[in-house]
Amino acid sequence: MVRYFIKRLGMMLIALFLIILVTFVIMHSIPGGPFTSDRNVSKEVEEALNEKYHLNDPLPKQFFDYVGNLLHGDFGPSYRFTGKTVNDFIANGFPVSAKLGGVTILFVILASIPMGILAAIKNGKWQDMLVMAVATIGVTIPSFVIASILIYIFSFRMGALPSFGLDSWKGYVLPVITLGGYSISYLARQMRSSLLEVMGQDYIRTARAKGLSEPKIIIRHALRNAMIPVITVLGPTVANLLTGSFVVEKIFAVPGLGVHFVNSVTMRDYTTIMGVTIFYATFLLAMVFIVDVFYCLIDPRIKYD
Amino acid sequence: MENKWEMLESSNEEREKIWRLNRTFAGDVWFRFRRKPTAIAGFVIILLLLFFALAGPAFTDYSYSAQNLEVVNIPPRMTVYDAPDGSGYLYITQALKVVWVNRDGTLGSQLKKVREDSEHSMTIYDCNGTEVGLYYGFKPYVMVDPETRVIFSSQKIWNQSYVLGTDSLGRDILTRLMYGTRVSLLVAFVAVLVNLVIGIIFGGISGYAGGTVDAVMMRIVDIISTIPLTLYVILIMVILGTGLKSIIIALGTVYWVDMARVVRGQVLSLKNQEFVLAARTIGSSVKTILMQHLIPNAMGSILVTVTMLIPSAIFMEAFLGFLGIGLQPPLASLGTMCNDATENLRSCPHQLFIPALVICLIMFAFNFVGDGLRDALDPKLKK
Repeated sequence: MVRYFIKRLGMMLIALFLIILVTFVIMHSIPGGPFTSDRNVSKEVEEALNEKYHLNDPLPKQFFDYVGNLLHGDFGPSYRFTGKTVNDFIANGFPVSAKLGGVTILFVILASIPMGILAAIKNGKWQDMLVMAVATIGVTIPSFVIASILIYIFSFRMGALPSFGLDSWKGYVLPVITLGGYSISYLARQMRSSLLEVMGQDYIRTARAKGLSEPKIIIRHALRNAMIPVITVLGPTVANLLTGSFVVEKIFAVPGLGVHFVNSVTMRDYTTIMGVTIFYATFLLAMVFIVDVFYCLIDPRIKYD
Repeated sequence: MENKWEMLESSNEEREKIWRLNRTFAGDVWFRFRRKPTAIAGFVIILLLLFFALAGPAFTDYSYSAQNLEVVNIPPRMTVYDAPDGSGYLYITQALKVVWVNRDGTLGSQLKKVREDSEHSMTIYDCNGTEVGLYYGFKPYVMVDPETRVIFSSQKIWNQSYVLGTDSLGRDILTRLMYGTRVSLLVAFVAVLVNLVIGIIFGGISGYAGGTVDAVMMRIVDIISTIPLTLYVILIMVILGTGLKSIIIALGTVYWVDMARVVRGQVLSLKNQEFVLAARTIGSSVKTILMQHLIPNAMGSILVTVTMLIPSAIFMEAFLGFLGIGLQPPLASLGTMCNDATENLRSCPHQLFIPALVICLIMFAFNFVGDGLRDALDPKLKK
């Protein structure tokens, strides 16, 4: 088991190294330096800037310097905002995004699992139909469309909820629904199908035969096993929430890391794009790894090969 | 019939014959696909959308890029006021201009402004020689007679010039929708085609070669699938710049991993069958075996993966367009149309809801067709 985790960790580190390498190569393959673009800078100034940011060094040296800095937790300076570092952006933006993401995850779990259970228990009845219809809509409609419709109805027409900002709990309602919509639908479907599968197993029949009540069977026997596949998709769900937050933060004007990433892309702030990409990727890999470890710990049937 | 116990004349072979329609594989698939109403509905919607996107622009009088700043943000259903001489209607735009509307609902030109009457909060316009006033003292703004200050009677009519209204630059939304659907479908089809080629080559080689080659290639796939790919699509867009070609390259080069896995699995299960052995015995090259024998046999599950990849490519394209790193302005895609419309969501929600509806239609249609195909291609369900 320990060997399995070490292997997974090794894979993760290789993936991380590849991510840094690919990101670095992509960002340095853009024709022209970061200072050659819009503003008219004189040759001397450009030289001085290149010298200051070590852009005249050979690429391999730049790469290893960059990796060395990353290991110290230093993502380097921003090329567009003088005096700001990428670390500042992450330190300012990530807590906001993480708070929104955390609330959303909680909401997703609390909403999708009961939905899935309800659909599985009432298999084929109208409750099942309703849950599956909602889940299909959630998977097929893009989040920005959901967000716009919600804003139009609840903010503009009814005036009940604010259309931007996270100042009070009311501000969280619409972003959380938008961000969680896809994941709720996905997890509810997963929960429904895995619970349906478990309910057909022999040990459930045994539990029924010995006269346990239906709620007891579901909670004590079926749910434990049915939860396992749901936990596996939690890792990718975190990934969905993170990239989904680009759109949600843009629409609801949340000052998080996602909207900052999109801004730095449109402003071509290369170091920020690179730094935030690597930060996101590391965070995601770590999340997937944690879920994986957790998954192995709770399900003794898993083989470690 | 007098003797009920008389022998019938059927021969022995007839009795033993299995009375079942002989169908080809494709016919069988079509038979099962056809029995699912959602799949058929999706299929019809896709055909209609293709017709709308490809043939539609031939039927409109507008171009997707021509701006007409006289008719900005006009909705499909307008509130109009009767003109004093009764020969047409007057429509107040959001920029407080008055547009002439003919009796049949087609739009005319803007009225000429005569003077400003700020004392009565009115702007006086010239309407076929008579003066009319636009009263802006309170909302909603109304057309009045400047002398008697009586409000003209109003009614709601459908916009006949621009059936779905115009956007914030006075472009016809219907025409842009046709081009947008065309661009979105084009991006999705080409990107998925690129995915398909890369996936077939990578997965085919990996599955057929087996052993160490397979192990190494699959480790590469494993590593790629842990990387958050959305970020890399965005990074590729940064280097290549915005535009149609960059989106296709970005989406096409990144999402082939699932396809490679599917192809590998199929090749792996097929390559030990007799027909492959036969092909090898007669000396076919690896390329022939892969392309002529293995891939065609794996086409079923490849097709299902393709129909599932197309909506996700459209989704991604709309996502990029919405973030503003998609297409360059006069060109429209469904995502960029939604993005443009968010600025005046409050006053013109139709500008967002119309392209959003088309995106949802496409997503539903392809998902339903994919579901139907998967069920139809699954021989376990054969009845």
